Order: sequence, then structure tokens, then C-alpha cells
Amino acid sequence: MPTIVDIAVSNEGFSTLVAAVQAAGLVEALQSPGPFTVFAPNDDAFAKLPPGTVQTLVQNPPQLGRILKFHVVSGKYTKDELIRLGSVESLEGAPIPIDGTEGFEVKNATVLAADIEADNGIVHVLDNVILMG
Amino acid sequence: MLSLLLAIPVLGAIAVSLLPRRDLAKPIALTSAAIGFVFSLFLLTQFDLTQAGVQFAESVAWVEPIGLNYSLGVDGLSLPLVALNTLLTLVAIYSSRDDLDRPQLYYALLLFASAGVGGAFLAQNLLLFVIFFEVELVPIYLLIAIWGGSRRGYAATKFLLYTALSGILILASFLGVAWLSGDFTSFDYDAISADGLSQKTQLWLLTTLVIGLGIKIPLVPLHTWSPDAYVESSPPVAILLGGVLAKMGSYGLLRFGLDLFPDTWHLVAPGLAIIGAFSVMYGSLAAIAQKDIKRMVAYSSIGHMGYILVAIAAGTELSILGGVAQMVAHGLILALLFNLVGLVETKAGTRDLDALNGLLNPVRGLPLVSSLLIAAGMASAGIPGMVGFAAEFIVFQGSFPVFPIPTLLCILSSGLTAVYFVILLNRTCFGKLNNKLAYYDRVTWPERVPALVLTAIVLILGVQPNWLVDWMEPTSAQLAASLPSAPVAIAPATEAPELATLRSPQL
Amino acid sequence: MVQAVNRPAIPESQHPYADIIHRLEAGGSMLPDTPENLMQIIGIYKAYAVPMDFYWRDLLYIAEKVFLNPVPAFKYFISKEYLDRPNSYAGDSADLRIWRGEADAHPELREFMARGETGKLPKLAHHLWHDRVNMEFAEACMRAMLWHQGMGGRFYDYLESDEYVANADRAIKAYFKGNPAMLGLYKLFPTMFLEKVRELSYYANLGLFWEVMAPVFFEMSDLYDEGKMTTVPEAMDFLVNGIFAVAGRPIYHHLYIGDECIEIIPKSAGFTWLYEAALPYVEAVFYRTAPFRGTKSYNAQAGQVPEQQKDFHYGILYADVFPVGTAGIPPTLLMQDMLHFLPDYLREYYDEHCRGDDDILIQLGITFQRSMYNVTSAVIQALRGALLYPLDDPNPRHRQANRQFFESQMDRFLRPEARLRDIQRRDYR
Repeated sequence: MPTIVDIAVSNEGFSTLVAAVQAAGLVEALQSPGPFTVFAPNDDAFAKLPPGTVQTLVQNPPQLGRILKFHVVSGKYTKDELIRLGSVESLEGAPIPIDGTEGFEVKNATVLAADIEADNGIVHVLDNVILMG
Repeated sequence: MLSLLLAIPVLGAIAVSLLPRRDLAKPIALTSAAIGFVFSLFLLTQFDLTQAGVQFAESVAWVEPIGLNYSLGVDGLSLPLVALNTLLTLVAIYSSRDDLDRPQLYYALLLFASAGVGGAFLAQNLLLFVIFFEVELVPIYLLIAIWGGSRRGYAATKFLLYTALSGILILASFLGVAWLSGDFTSFDYDAISADGLSQKTQLWLLTTLVIGLGIKIPLVPLHTWSPDAYVESSPPVAILLGGVLAKMGSYGLLRFGLDLFPDTWHLVAPGLAIIGAFSVMYGSLAAIAQKDIKRMVAYSSIGHMGYILVAIAAGTELSILGGVAQMVAHGLILALLFNLVGLVETKAGTRDLDALNGLLNPVRGLPLVSSLLIAAGMASAGIPGMVGFAAEFIVFQGSFPVFPIPTLLCILSSGLTAVYFVILLNRTCFGKLNNKLAYYDRVTWPERVPALVLTAIVLILGVQPNWLVDWMEPTSAQLAASLPSAPVAIAPATEAPELATLRSPQL
Repeated sequence: MVQAVNRPAIPESQHPYADIIHRLEAGGSMLPDTPENLMQIIGIYKAYAVPMDFYWRDLLYIAEKVFLNPVPAFKYFISKEYLDRPNSYAGDSADLRIWRGEADAHPELREFMARGETGKLPKLAHHLWHDRVNMEFAEACMRAMLWHQGMGGRFYDYLESDEYVANADRAIKAYFKGNPAMLGLYKLFPTMFLEKVRELSYYANLGLFWEVMAPVFFEMSDLYDEGKMTTVPEAMDFLVNGIFAVAGRPIYHHLYIGDECIEIIPKSAGFTWLYEAALPYVEAVFYRTAPFRGTKSYNAQAGQVPEQQKDFHYGILYADVFPVGTAGIPPTLLMQDMLHFLPDYLREYYDEHCRGDDDILIQLGITFQRSMYNVTSAVIQALRGALLYPLDDPNPRHRQANRQFFESQMDRFLRPEARLRDIQRRDYR
């Protein structure tokens, strides 16, 4: 089975995320055994951010890494488990609220595709970049 | 020469009313008032300080059959008041608003009123005095009724009724003196006396006179017209009304009460002293209760006129001197207070003690006006170094030997003056200026001039009171000497202090 | 980022500030959109940006160079190096060019530093005569951030970490190398020195925050002058975009001893402009700060000062600029600073109102208050954008979440000191 990184690279629509992960130097970490649950914003999600946002982040890998870590949870959680939990702690440290009352929502993002299994974890695709706070 | 003092404002009034230019009304009135003031200053320099009697006298027979002569003259009692009148007329005209309705009528009336008041001080004939006394009545009535505040109609009518009654009583008393005494030739001051009348008759006539003049002063309980009239008048009219018009009453009491009825005076004097002390207490306590700063000043004025009454009642050389000095001091301070309160009202749009706050604020408040208001409050409360202290001190020193308890009450009440002025100043000047209200217009330098000039005079005469009392000394000494030693009979053990103690006031 | 909405998908708000909440939901600002308001706030942003250009440079100069100087008498005498230091968001060398102007100190600032109000005098004379930029204001803001702490972000926690203590220890020892007296004192009172370093870290924090804001404000002023910024919401959106653009900017604290650089807070700690500087700054300075004695004094024992720091309400959004403007320090210092750099149109505007030159500090203080309500609106909209949903989101549940967020933000202005109602009126000056 492919790793989380492999899934992102091989699928259409995640080029910004892949570039960001590379810039932040997190490729190796995401290829480790984990397991991880990754909320993966697609390219459209990054495109929604105002101009300059991504540029500044890419110039500053530690800060970019921090935002990306907010999208990663240690352990492997499926959609149903996440909805039951209601909230999980991200690798960044801040909690990620989950809502299942109407579809599957992660903070202010909606999950476009859930439960994509990977060798070292599980991926849920988001339509928004989620931010701490 | 004294006729000029009357002619100047009258000519000014005629010029103002005949010239069809509205914009020239104020400059002409101002010029006329300024000439009058300068002329009165000239009189002050020409006045012989060593003489007690009437100076610059002039007399023309007018309606001889009834003894009415056009006799004018000044002595030490009337000259300071004449000067006060011209000064306050100038201040009143200067501080009148530029956007008045019907300015020609307004300034003409103001000048006529001023001429009437001046005439009353100058008159040397009883009937002439009454005529002048009545002459100012109608202009002031109109000035209140047309340019006054929201209750102007009520206040003006009340003023008219009371003052008309006052005039009638005075006239009745004068006529009584003339007709009842046998050897009547004319109403001239030096030709008439009540000496020949029985004491009972004299007492009746004197009481009538005191009530008549008491309304004008005003004495409690004849005062009720005055707070309304003061409050509803525009500030310039209030300055004239409280500053000089009220002085006609106290001047009349001094002049006629003591001069015409020297033998009877001691009978009414204790009662007058008590009423005076009561007026002081009443005025002060009523002022404490007020929420309207102008009304507060009006009641304060009633209180301070009480000192003068106590002084006149005592009738000692020193107390008469103090009484006249207090008339001038009160006129100056009251004019200053009304001027400042008027400025506050114009700028802040209210006189409400509860609404005003923090006016001392240097950025958006009225800092100079507030500072001067503090100075005026101190002067009114008799803080040493200001003219109010000098005058009140002489009054108290002069009247204490004769009427110790009323004098003590007056001294106590001068402490109350400090109470209400602290209330007034604390609420209006200090505290936090509310930014929601504090969009006041700037006070311009021309607007500040009258208050600055008056404050300067108050301070100068306070530090150097001799410049005030020198004019009055000989005349008051003579007046006191003309009284029989009746007051001393009431307080036989005490001698009136030597005037020499006053020579170097310990300020 | 912020779009207009035609029909609300949810019922009208019942909040006391419902009108303002609806305006925010329609993509507006708390400040009404009038040309007069726009003119005022843009003018004051420009007047604020010039002294701010000094503030950020000197804050970094103090944090990075003056450091623990026991007698920092010349900490406001910024070095030429820091005056020329290129701003990261202006000029050709910018990481992200926000202002099209130059990266070194603003020419108006240089001119003022040379001449002041009094004329050409030695630097020391200007300093002692207080004819200079009032750095005391900047330090007061820094102190507010230091004192309030715990306002989100990880900065404060990090200052207590072992890693930070070790870094600070290294920095202190390096700075006082060859100074046995100070090193001896450090041995005796280690926590005192550590606490001073923490304060200096906030100097760096605030300096890096304002390094961004100065070019943002300059650019807004230029756009307005060019006629390209025509409404208050446009001004707010520019700020929202600016906040997002630089959100990821690192916040760090470096110490320079000669050429040696000691990283007290390294960039790799991952602190960001938005979380560790901007949001705490807005909270500490706009909302909370501390009660200072203007013509009003407070009695903490009588409960006139809140028990909880989070309930403090002495920031510009609550300030009665008036007594503050007449006696209060430090806001008066800022007003005095802005006074020197007012654009002509704003100076003429003040001359026409109230008492003109006599109360210009209050007038510009109230304009400043208006402008900061607009900045706060931008922060609220940015947070809404980052954490919640678009204004035109079709999902009513999402709209309701936005509504709740706006209402909770407006709740902070329910206390009577808040000036939100006042700034709705044009005759509030």
C-alpha cells in the first residue's frame, strides 16, 4: 500500500499540498510508520487563501510546518471514529473540532472524500485550509 | 458739569434710536458709554477729597410751586456709585451680544436706564430723585420683557409691579415730610428736614420709606421679584440690575433715612440690622439650594446686600464708610459674576449645576472663564486681597460695636458664601468634562475683556482699599456725626474704632 | 475575501448592535462607510505609520543591540544601521512587497528627527527637550502585551520553557562577557535578568509586528491619494488581505553582539505573526491595556478596576480620548507623534472643527479611535475568514455560526465605556 505522501503525489489536485510539505521538510515524517490521520486540503482549498499567504509561508518553513501539523493527527481515525470523538488533538497541539450533524465537517472545512486508506495512516480530503484558533 | 453725565447717555440713546443703521447701534452706544465713563473718571480726579459736602453742585429752578428744582451734585457717598454706574454701563453694553434683535431699541433703553440711575445718584432734590428713580423703571422693564429668558414676561411684570410700588412709597414718604413739616420751601436736600415732626409721624414716614427702598435693595421678605428678574434678564441687564440699580435702594436709605430722619433712625435701626442679618442668612442658604448658577448668584446678591443694610443701620462713621464701599465692591463682583455666568451659559448652553462639569479643562473647557469665576467666587466670599474682603471687613468692624449679634450672624453667613461658591465651583469648574457635551465654542479675547478688567479692579482695590474709601471718608464722617449718639446708647461701652486703624489695612 | 450578500439566509439578529452585525455580515466594517470617515482613517493611518516606522526600528534595536545595558540612557538613539535596515515588506528587497515605497526609514521621519519642532539642534538637545518621537508609547504597548499574556498563541508559554531559559542564559553570559560585576549580579539574581530578557523578547515581538503595519498603512495612504481606495470596506479588505498575507511571518528574538548572533527565540520555534504577535497585540492594546491616570483616577480597592485581566477595558476601543487626551500618558504621546505627520487634508479638516489647533490632539485621537475600529473590524473579518465560513455561504448553519461569532465579538462592546455607538455618529469628534 502507498504511504500518505504517495497518495498525495499520485492524485490530481494536491500539488500545492505536496509542494508545501516538501518546503516544510515534512516528507520524511509523513513517510514514517506513524500511523497518522491527515486532513489534506486540495489545491482549490489553498487557492482560496488571499494572495501572499502561501508565499510568506513557503518562505518560512518552520511556520509553514506548524500550519501543516495542524492538519495531522497522531493515530488512525476513520470518519465514524472522528465524528464519535467530536474533537482530536493535532500534532501542532491545538484541538481540531469535528462535526457530523450534516455530512462530515472538520472545523470550518467540509470533507470532500473521507477514509482514504494509506500504508501509514488515513487521509480525509478538505475543501479548506484549516487554521488554529 | 454734572449735567454732562446725564446728557452723554441721553444723547447717545437719541443718536442710537434716530440713526437708521442697525450695525452702528452698538458702536455708538459703546462710544457714548465710554465717554461717560471717562468723564466720571475725570470727575474722580477733580473731586476734592478733603471736603465732606456736595461738590460740582448745579441748580436750576424747574417747577418752583411744588419745590422741584433741577439740582445736581456729588459727595463722597454718591461719587463712587456714579463711577460704578458708568463703568458697569460700559461693561453691559460691551458684553451685549452682537446678534440682538432690534439693537437700536435695546441700546437706547440701556443708555436711558443708565442715565436714570446716574441721575438718581446725582440728584439733590427729593422729587428729582423720585423722577430719576422712575425713569429707569420702564427701560429696564422693556429690557427684561423683550430680551429676557423664557419666563421674561412674568419676571418683567413682577419687577414692574414691585418697583412701581417702591416708587410710590418713596414718593409718599417724601411728600409726607414736605407737607407735614411747616416751613416747606423746596424739596432740595439741604432745604428739607423732618426735624419739626413728631417722632410718631417721623416713624410712620421712615417706615414707609424703608419699605419703599427695601423693595429695591431688596430686603427679605420684599425680595421675591429679584431672583426672577436677575435670572430672566440677559447678562448685561442683570449686571445693571444687580450691580447698580439695587444700589439706588441702599443709597437712598443712607441718604434719606439717615439724613432726613436722624432722630428717628435709631428706632428702626435695630430692626433693620436684624432684617439685614436675616437677609444675609436667607440669601446664602437659598443660594446653597439652587441648581441654576445664575439663580445662585442672584440669591448671593440678596445676601450681600444685607451687609450694607446692617452697616447703614449701625450708622457709625466706619460702618457707613463700609456700607458705601460694600455697594461698590458688590456692584463690581456681582457684575463680574453675571458676566462670567453669562459667558458660561452662552458657550455651554446651560446653567444647570448638574449638567455642567469640568469647565476648567484646558483643551475643550472654558479655562480662563473658569479661573476668573473662581477668582470672583473668592472675592464674593470675602477672601483677603480682594475688594470684597476690604469692604466687608470695614462693615463688620463698624457695625460690631453697635449690633454685635447681627454682625456675628453676617460673619457666619460670609462663611456660607464660601459654601455655595465651593459647590458652584466644584460642580462647574472641576471634575471631568464630559466629551459628549464638550463641543463648546471658543471664548474669544474680546469676550474676555470685561471680566478681565473687572477682575483687575477687584484685585487692585482689594490690595489697595484706600483708593476706594478715600472718596467716601469725609462724607461718611460728616453723616455719622449728624446722627445723635443714639447708637452709642445701645452699646455705650464701645467706642467706634478710629479710622486710623483702617489706614493700614492688614492684608 | 469579503463579499456582499443579497438576502440573509437567517433571521435578523436581535443583538443590541444588530445594525452593525448586519453590516459586518454584508462585508462592511464597524465604522460606517462615508467619504469623511475614509478620509479621516486613511489620513491618520499615514500619520501613524511614520512614527511607527521609528517604533519598530527602535524596538528591534533595543531588543537586538541595547539588550541588557544596565544604563540604557541612549536606547532611543537608534543606530544608522537600524535606520537604514530594509523593511521586509517595502522596497525592492522585500520578501513580499506591500508598500511600493523605499525600505529604509521614511523621509518625513528622517526630517523630523533632524529638525523636530524646535529646529536643527544636537540629538541630545532634541531628546532632553522631548522634541522627538515618543518611544515611551511603543514601550507602553510592549508592556501591555508582556503584562496581559495568555491571550492565545504560544509565545508566553515558550518564555517559560527550559529551551528559552537556556537560550537566554547563553545570551546573558555572552552579552556580559568580561564584565564580572554584571555576571556576579546575574549569579545573585538570575530570575531578574531572565525576566528582563523576556521583556526584551516582547520588544522584538512588537517590533516585528509593526514592521508589517507601517508599510501596510503607507500603501493604503498611497492608494487613497491615487484614488484607488474609495470606501471604508475597501480599506478594511486591504487590511484583511494584509493580515493573511503576512500571517506566517516568523516572530523571533535575536541578539547581536558584534557580528555574533545569538538566537534567544529562533525562527524555527515556529512562531507566527498572526498568532504570536497580531492577535495578542490587538487584545492587549486595543481592548485591554491598563488603567492610566488621566483626569480620571481609579481605585482598585473599591472595585473600579476589574479583578480579571481579561475584563480590562482601557484600550483605544473604550477610551474616552478626551481626558486621556488632556492628561493621560501614553496615548497623548502617540497623538503628539501623529500630529507631526498629519497629511494636509486632515490638518485642514481639524482646523474647521471644534477648536481647531487648540484641541487637535483630541480630534485626531478620536479619528484614531475610528481608524482602530476599522482595524479591529479587519481582524474580526479575518478571523471569521480563517476560522469560520464565507459571508455568502449558502448553508444556513454556517451563516448562523458566523452570526454567533459576530455577536460574541459585539458583546465585548456592550459595556458602557465602548465607543462603538459614538463612532457611528459623524459629530463625535
